[in-house]
Amino acid sequence: MAKIIIDNQELECREGMPVLRAALEAGWDIPHYCYHPGLSVAASCRLCLMEMKMPHPKTREMDWAPKLFPACQTPVRDGLEVRFNSDVVKTAQESCMEFFLLNHPLDCPVCDQAGECCLQDYSYKFGRAESRMVDPKVVNPKKDIGPHTLLYTDRCVTCTRCVRFTREIAGTGELCLVQRGSKNEIDVFPGRPLDNPMQGNVVDICPVGCLLDKDFLFKRRVWELTGTSSICPGCATGCSIRVDHADNRVYRLKPRYNPKVNDWWMCDEGRFGFKYTQDNARIIKPMLRRGREETSPSWREIPDIVRFRFQDHVRASSADKVVAVLSPFMATEEAWLLIRFIREVAPEAALAMGPVPVEGEPQAFPCAPPGAPSMPDVKFTILEEKCPNRRGIEQLLEVSGGTVLTFEAFSEQAAKGDFTAAWIVGGYPKPWVEKDTAKLGSKFGLLVVQDLFENKLTEAAAIVLPACAWVERDGSFVNAKGLAQPFERAISPPDGAMRDGQYLFEIAGFEGLYSGQRVRELMAEATASLTEVYEAPPIPAHAH
Amino acid sequence: MSWKAIDRNQAVVDADAPPLLSEGVREKILSYTHRYETKRAALLPALHLVQNTLGHVSWQAMVEIAALLDIQPSDVFDTLTFYTHFWTHPKGEKVITVCRSLSCEVLGGAAVLDALKARLGIEEHGTSSDGQYSLVTEECLAGCDHAPCMLINEKLHKNVKLDDLERILADGDNDRVDMPRSDLFDAPPVAESKQPASATEDDSRTTDD
Amino acid sequence: MKNVGVDGSTTLKVYESRGGYVAARKALAMDTNAVVEEVKKANLRGRGGAGFPAGVKWGFLPKDRTTTLLCVNADESEPPTFCNRVLMEHDPHQLIEGTIIAAYATRSQVAYIYMRGEFHEQFHVLQKAIDEAYEAGYLGKKVLGTDYALECYIHRGAGAYVCGEETGLIESLEGKRGQPRIKPPFPAIEGLFRRPTVVNNVETLSCLPHIMERGADWFTGIGPPHSAGPKLFCVSGPVNKPGCYEAAMDITVRELIERDDMGGGMLSGRKVKAVFPGGLSMGVLTVDELDMKMDFEDPRNYSLLGLGTAAAVVVDDATDIRLVLRNVARFYGTESCGQCTQCREGTSWMQRIAQRIESGAGRMEDLDLLLETARNMGMMPGLSICGLSDGATYPIETIVKKFRPELEAAIRSQPAGQVEAVLQAAN
Ligand SMILES: Cc1cc2nc3c(=O)[nH]c(=O)nc-3n(C[C@H](O)[C@H](O)[C@H](O)COP(=O)(O)O)c2cc1C
Ligand code: SF4
Ligand code: SF4
Ligand code: FES
Ligand code: FES
Repeated sequence: MAKIIIDNQELECREGMPVLRAALEAGWDIPHYCYHPGLSVAASCRLCLMEMKMPHPKTREMDWAPKLFPACQTPVRDGLEVRFNSDVVKTAQESCMEFFLLNHPLDCPVCDQAGECCLQDYSYKFGRAESRMVDPKVVNPKKDIGPHTLLYTDRCVTCTRCVRFTREIAGTGELCLVQRGSKNEIDVFPGRPLDNPMQGNVVDICPVGCLLDKDFLFKRRVWELTGTSSICPGCATGCSIRVDHADNRVYRLKPRYNPKVNDWWMCDEGRFGFKYTQDNARIIKPMLRRGREETSPSWREIPDIVRFRFQDHVRASSADKVVAVLSPFMATEEAWLLIRFIREVAPEAALAMGPVPVEGEPQAFPCAPPGAPSMPDVKFTILEEKCPNRRGIEQLLEVSGGTVLTFEAFSEQAAKGDFTAAWIVGGYPKPWVEKDTAKLGSKFGLLVVQDLFENKLTEAAAIVLPACAWVERDGSFVNAKGLAQPFERAISPPDGAMRDGQYLFEIAGFEGLYSGQRVRELMAEATASLTEVYEAPPIPAHAH
Repeated sequence: MSWKAIDRNQAVVDADAPPLLSEGVREKILSYTHRYETKRAALLPALHLVQNTLGHVSWQAMVEIAALLDIQPSDVFDTLTFYTHFWTHPKGEKVITVCRSLSCEVLGGAAVLDALKARLGIEEHGTSSDGQYSLVTEECLAGCDHAPCMLINEKLHKNVKLDDLERILADGDNDRVDMPRSDLFDAPPVAESKQPASATEDDSRTTDD
Repeated sequence: MKNVGVDGSTTLKVYESRGGYVAARKALAMDTNAVVEEVKKANLRGRGGAGFPAGVKWGFLPKDRTTTLLCVNADESEPPTFCNRVLMEHDPHQLIEGTIIAAYATRSQVAYIYMRGEFHEQFHVLQKAIDEAYEAGYLGKKVLGTDYALECYIHRGAGAYVCGEETGLIESLEGKRGQPRIKPPFPAIEGLFRRPTVVNNVETLSCLPHIMERGADWFTGIGPPHSAGPKLFCVSGPVNKPGCYEAAMDITVRELIERDDMGGGMLSGRKVKAVFPGGLSMGVLTVDELDMKMDFEDPRNYSLLGLGTAAAVVVDDATDIRLVLRNVARFYGTESCGQCTQCREGTSWMQRIAQRIESGAGRMEDLDLLLETARNMGMMPGLSICGLSDGATYPIETIVKKFRPELEAAIRSQPAGQVEAVLQAAN
């Protein structure tokens, strides 16, 4: 740790990190465009300039050097003294903002970035009131640079964050800077659009409304959105994300800084992977089936009905003929509640986990550039395991003891009729019931299925419980590296549905409201090892 | 608000087109790479060579150069457009570059430019209808002791006077310097037919000014 | 410049016959550090514009380096400078010899000569000379029969002023856009291909054979102590004998223009109005300031940035100062590389203002706006990555300050309503 002085205030920070980052994280709101902690330092926007004390060339006494230094390019070292609050720095910031605004269109009312735009914010905080330019502005056309992204060229501040991202993080290098000087523009090679699995991040890091997400375009003003911390369920990487929602509807997902998992990034598959939550085909009501008769009981009745049916069944056949199939999409807490219930009514019940969806190979970024002799250091990985909590469920199964089966073993035994009662949890965003699994529907005397969408199993089930999407639930997921991370509830379930955690809580015999935290406390009494979760440290909003 | 946007999703290079760069040019480009520690460093020499043989660096040429040097086409596009001398669209057979910096302007450079515009019937960046000449201006050509100056392709014309223009334009060799050339490094490869300048620009917002 | 004007001066035969490559032979027989010391002693200040002592620069190279690269800056793009052109055109072997000495002193294995793309004739001359030098064993695996190996390549630019800036040059050599790099690291530590790199100007290197041959004392004996050695001065514009002249750095601007063995006075009927004595970027002098000494120190006393390239362009009294302002502003407006906000936006804004003023639609407040914009771009070191931005500041500021009465008179004489009409039409 090094001690430095910023604006007369002492600060302890890591040696070698840029002064800008140290200051931002400590709460200083210092205007900056080109610096992004995840990218190489360009030091070209010249907005983060500061004064620094240096030994006087003659007297060797420490004094303010007659020079400005970019804070993003100056590493922290012990004893450094800098300031941002001097007139010189303020004038530099003000004139720099004036330069930025010279050619910037005044179209904030129709700009998607309005509300989270660093140009708007900075010019208000650091700029001067009106433009002194009377000459015509440079006007450039928009560009459609890829399937997901639009580029509003004349809003660009040429910070090159986006270009550096595609070169350094994605490794795909689609974006480039063309022309020279004031004609500089961001572009792609025609016919080689910005189209890589990580591309959405360029929209996040663009400090102005130049790069825009077609999916979000004009859908909602950003100040109407509420952000909720969550974890992406798209793959076992488990990126920290923020769910932006309004009026109980999710509008977009944004990555949230997490130094242990995803840094500042997320992949497109995760980013755009929330659409299924808005699918009208979702199961939203619990359902009871007796022969051909279908009824829809109220949620109040459900715990008793379920409990009674299982107890009844155990009494009629035997406790070791009961099985619960957990899903790798369940939160650890939810799975624990279900296990607790099953083992309570049928202590010898078998446990299994449903299929783990795997697609393709893991993809590491940056991708190797053409002709590269060696792989660059991996900065991000999209895993082939397309579910968030295989590890969490496995850990639970391990500590639960008793009969634990693989999904294959379960299928085999079930097909032979070894089980008479089963509770099967789905919750997969994509169809998951394969032919062999579908056939199992008829093999149980009592089948409870908890799922998002109808399928052969729900058709055969005696009790169908709607599963909720993760944005409607809370709990924790354990990622591929074994890191348990909590996610919060962003929106309420669709009308008629109830959060899985809540009804499992009640079915398991608890009273009151479910919350991941509460269940973790309950779990702690039984199995302390599973209840530690890691939350990424928050960073101030201005430190983007 | 207008919704017109340049569509960059459309390919401009036909993936099945036969290669544009001849074997000779390719070999030459690869031979440059030995001078440097990275292959990419041979990009400027490669661009010079390609522009000399094809008259310009087309999209397809960029893709082929990128493949030779193990870089992305976007890298070539990026670098190429930074430099005034490279263009992505065909120009006239001869490119006249009139100096517009101070010494030349003070001594009548602007008048030379105006006279050329009138004589060729084109504006700056234009190409004459017969495809003979293109006209551009540039900053100081470092020939200020002979101001006003202009370059026609590789030949520097010094102390250009208005009355001289006709004679200069009429001279068939006005664009070549006649002197011994090195064959050790820069022997020009077999010339390929230049593509003629066309009036139809597929995308005017690229580089050529 | 001893061989300029000699018949066949570009050939190895003539160069050798006039004592060529003797200095290189002498240097290669010495210890590399001894060569560096000699150059330090000569106080050879860089001729490329910044005036940094070459020997000191070489001293920054890390002691334990394994690879060193030498870049010869032959980009010569500062208007109106052409002394490097003259040197390469007429005395290519002197440059090659200087390159060999510098490369040996810095223990460089490769020398890249970065030559601006507009030089065609000069390219052929120099390349031919390099071929000759290879053949004669001055370059290649065994330089002058010693174990020292040196490869030398010409790398041609393609029309970008900023590639003359040493790190812009390095980027351009690496096949990228010629955007100057942020420093540190300085090229001496991490330059071309991330190797320790030295960048020197053509003229700087062309001094080396003479220093090695005649000794540092001979060199420091010429001119004032802080500005030692002979220097090439360019003069252009409406003078009788525009050209490149060699002299000690104790001459004045007036001498350069008027001496018979130099500029030879103004063309008949023309009078000096303004002079840019060191290339555009250093700023302008009025007719009353012609006694400025062309050395590394005196220009500061005339609110100029420095000696620059020591290339004077004379503007005569028939030329409208608004034309000069616009010409200068346009140069920076089109040549800024565009990374730094201040430079990118500032130069293009100044260009637009200057164009409007020239077109007869200037406003009085534009003059202050120009001054303030210039100050916001370059008056405080650190505002931008490279010196281009400062280089744009000085000429604009000195023009507006020193010729303000003329500019104001011109604006005052504009027809009423002109400004509004032009602005309306434009916006
Ligand atoms: C914008 C800009 C343009 C420059 N152009 C040139 C140039 O064309 N030729 C040159 O030799 N130095 C040029 N320089 C100076 C170089 O950066 C560098 O100082 C020089 O090459 C060092 O060589 P020297 O020490 O031998 O002078 C330029 C500097 C700047 C800031
Ligand atoms: S598009 Fe956005 S991120 Fe990219 S350079 Fe422009 S302002 Fe920066
Ligand atoms: S000062 Fe100007 S030319 Fe130099 S790096 Fe910055 S933008 Fe480029
Ligand atoms: S220069 Fe520091 S953030 Fe851009
Ligand atoms: S000003 Fe025209 S050649 Fe230098």
